[in-house]
Amino acid sequence: MARLTPRMMNWLTGLGAHIATASATGIPAVLVVDSASADTEDSVRFPLTEMQVEQVTANLVENPLVAIGPGGIGSVRAAYQLKGTGRIENHDLVVDIDEIYCTKPGPEAGLRLDVLPYEKVLAFEGSRWHDDGPPR
Amino acid sequence: MKLGAEVSKALRTVGSGGAVIYLTTASRVGKPNIVGERFITLFQDEYVLIAEMFAQKTRVNLNENPYGVITIAHPIKGRTWSLAGPATVLQEGHAPGARWEGLDVAHVLAEWGDWATKEPPSEVPPDIRPPALVQRGVIALHVTSASDFHPDRAGEPLPFT
Repeated sequence: MARLTPRMMNWLTGLGAHIATASATGIPAVLVVDSASADTEDSVRFPLTEMQVEQVTANLVENPLVAIGPGGIGSVRAAYQLKGTGRIENHDLVVDIDEIYCTKPGPEAGLRLDVLPYEKVLAFEGSRWHDDGPPR
Repeated sequence: MKLGAEVSKALRTVGSGGAVIYLTTASRVGKPNIVGERFITLFQDEYVLIAEMFAQKTRVNLNENPYGVITIAHPIKGRTWSLAGPATVLQEGHAPGARWEGLDVAHVLAEWGDWATKEPPSEVPPDIRPPALVQRGVIALHVTSASDFHPDRAGEPLPFT
């Protein structure tokens, strides 16, 4: 499991996310949600509509792998990609995060953050961004 | 599938702060990958072109599973579009006269192979602007299906033909 920083969680809870799944044969599909909440430091809960539950369930049943990018302007201001496994719980999509990547264009694009000590992830964020979440 | 002027306008990268999309691909065994992109354009009304700037996993995925999905990330209002279809990376070195999904590869690269010169990202704020625009090709997605990602209409087909 990979521990999310407060900044990562703030962007997800503030602006939601684009959530990618794929069929067992690798055909991707994307859900877009506008909010989220923290289940734990390494798990995120996204409320889904009935239509979204219908859309995503088949993929999750055959393949629980999920990739997440922060929504809205978070797509550039919070350049992270989170990967993990998802499941449906009471109309929510719950994703346990296993991998965290920096996707900020430049030398650190693709840098895997969750393999660093947590304090170094915080220091990295502090050196690259000056906000702690989306504008309020 | 012809997408039209509204989509073309929405994908333009210059002026007004530009647009941002997510490009989603998956490995052969179904591990998805999603990355934000902002050097994008609609080409010949049915292809979305993206500057390929060392999108490492995207390239690996497309080499083994040539399919992608584009979702509008910002600005999103009225543009809850998910565009999907075959996708690949076009790059110098293709065989002479090469075509992909009806596209003339040389034509695409001649027009969009040097994005930074054609459309300098002057509107991108310095703190999120790439330090250098190093492009090694063009990601092309042939849009063959389009659906709505609005939470209340998720998965419904969009009226493009």
